[in-house]
Amino acid sequence: MIEIEHLTKRYGATIVVEDVSLRVDEGTIAVIVGTSGAGKSTLLRMINRLVEPSAGRVLIDGQDTMAIPEDELRHRIGYVIQGYGLFPHRTVAENIATVPRLLGWDKRRIAARIEELLDLFQLEPGEFAKKFPHELSGGQQQRVGVARALAAKPGLLLMDEPFGALDPVIRSKAQDDLVAIQRRLGTTIVLVTHDMNEAFQLGDRIAVMDQARLLQYDTPAQLLTHPAEAFVEQLVGTAERPFRLLSLTRVQAALEPGAADGDPILVSESLRDALSRLIWVGRDALPVVDATGAALGRVSVRGILAHGRSIA
Amino acid sequence: MSARAFALRAAALLLLVLFVTAPGLFAFAFRPLTVNGAPAIYNQGSLLALTLSHLRIVVLATLASTILAVGLGIFVTRPSGAEFLPLSRSLVNIGQTFPPIAVLAIAVPLVGFGEKPTFIALFLYGLLPIFENTLTGLMDVSPQTLEAAKGMGLNPRQRLMQVELPLALPVILAGIRLSVIISLGTATIGSTVAAKGLGEVIIAGLQSNNVAFVLQGGLVVALLAVLIHDGMGLAERAVARRLGRPVDEVA
Ligand SMILES: Nc1ncnc2c1ncn2[C@@H]1O[C@H](COP(=O)(O)OP(=O)(O)OP(=O)(O)O)[C@@H](O)[C@H]1O
Ligand SMILES: [Mg+2]
Repeated sequence: MIEIEHLTKRYGATIVVEDVSLRVDEGTIAVIVGTSGAGKSTLLRMINRLVEPSAGRVLIDGQDTMAIPEDELRHRIGYVIQGYGLFPHRTVAENIATVPRLLGWDKRRIAARIEELLDLFQLEPGEFAKKFPHELSGGQQQRVGVARALAAKPGLLLMDEPFGALDPVIRSKAQDDLVAIQRRLGTTIVLVTHDMNEAFQLGDRIAVMDQARLLQYDTPAQLLTHPAEAFVEQLVGTAERPFRLLSLTRVQAALEPGAADGDPILVSESLRDALSRLIWVGRDALPVVDATGAALGRVSVRGILAHGRSIA
Repeated sequence: MSARAFALRAAALLLLVLFVTAPGLFAFAFRPLTVNGAPAIYNQGSLLALTLSHLRIVVLATLASTILAVGLGIFVTRPSGAEFLPLSRSLVNIGQTFPPIAVLAIAVPLVGFGEKPTFIALFLYGLLPIFENTLTGLMDVSPQTLEAAKGMGLNPRQRLMQVELPLALPVILAGIRLSVIISLGTATIGSTVAAKGLGEVIIAGLQSNNVAFVLQGGLVVALLAVLIHDGMGLAERAVARRLGRPVDEVA
């Protein structure tokens, strides 16, 4: 868990981050969004002390980060930046081994960890371990960047626009993969982006920043239904709002008793996906099943629309 | 390496070794250049010994330049030394613009004749290429790479040794190569202040109006320069390849 308390950064007379307080619970993803120059990166970089705060403090699991030597602190926190900053003179395996090596892990433990991570990120160890960064595609570099950050099993991962350099197709796959890995490892993540869709797809909570201030820190649904300021409302996009809400809600929420014809929909899918399928196949309703394929009921266009209005 | 390039290198090396160990073999080629039955081949000392002392002083001076220039380059690219960057740049530039012959003229009264003044001149003259290339190499390391290194908890020393220097190495090596080549030629003037070297052959030729001697001295220096330039270029490329960068011919 990280607690950010009244964190402020000034450069001379300019305030870049102003009195920001927020808490990120263990094993959740907090996304910081906002326009360019809002202070997102600065806020993130104060967590691992790449930027020294002018005022305020950061607690990690209750411990003040100022009480930890800065290199030691950074060994414990994974860090991924846009462009990844892979070491061009080191192989994929050596890149991933960076922090474990600094920590003095023995060779066998490091080798095992590299293999485990390459597997986790779907990079065939035999093929990729010995490659150099310039021999990788953008998507592969991105995965190596995240694998390297996770190498020493940090409880906390900081990511500054980690998907910014990827094309849209690979980006959405990378986002899904990140969530899957995060759920599996239980890592706490603080991620900076200026892509609202990314924030909604990844964030358990979203922090909206503008001009050095934190305007709102809330769940995606709260942000949509109760924006604290006009700026937040504008940022979350008024026209997109119902669709974003539907994509945050599972089919479970609009499940109706009864049967319907057609290819069944999984109860764990989002209402947005369900609606999109209903429109596409031209039906008023489709059957709903659970992961084992057992019929649970049905979902209808009318039901989804009614639900959409009720949560808005 | 293509077979032709290899054959060319081997031939140049063979020619050099033969020439400095048994120059008499080549008398036929130089005879037409002499007049009044003057000797065709340098006869006032061993060409081999002169070549070796010529190389020795070049290597020593370059080594000294490298240590100072790389050290200085590292220092002025650290936060604590950044303010000295402009100053050190001008100092090193003066070392380059000051003609070596003038350095000799100033150094002889201070340190006497022989190798010392030559060493000083070569040392000063060799600083600039190495210093500038060290700066370029270190400053060209991508800020993202450095940011990542810092963010992963590499301390300044680890960043320098594990990231910055390895990445800058091919460029630094290119600077050293340039410096060696310049020194090889410049070292010939050391003979004017009685340093042992290939300049002796050239000066002897000038004094006795013997073109053959002048050419011989020049030929050995030129062969040395070509071979060393080539050999160090190979080393640079090998290093660059090991760093995972197929660097194209470094200037
Ligand atoms: N070292 C510094 N010195 C002075 N000003 C700085 C420094 N670092 C950042 N700033 C300023 O602080 C402000 C916030 O920068 P920051 O990088 O945190 O923005 P950001 O929200 O991450 O923007 P972006 O989305 O463009 O990355 C900017 O106006 C920037 O110019
Ligand atoms: Mg930023």
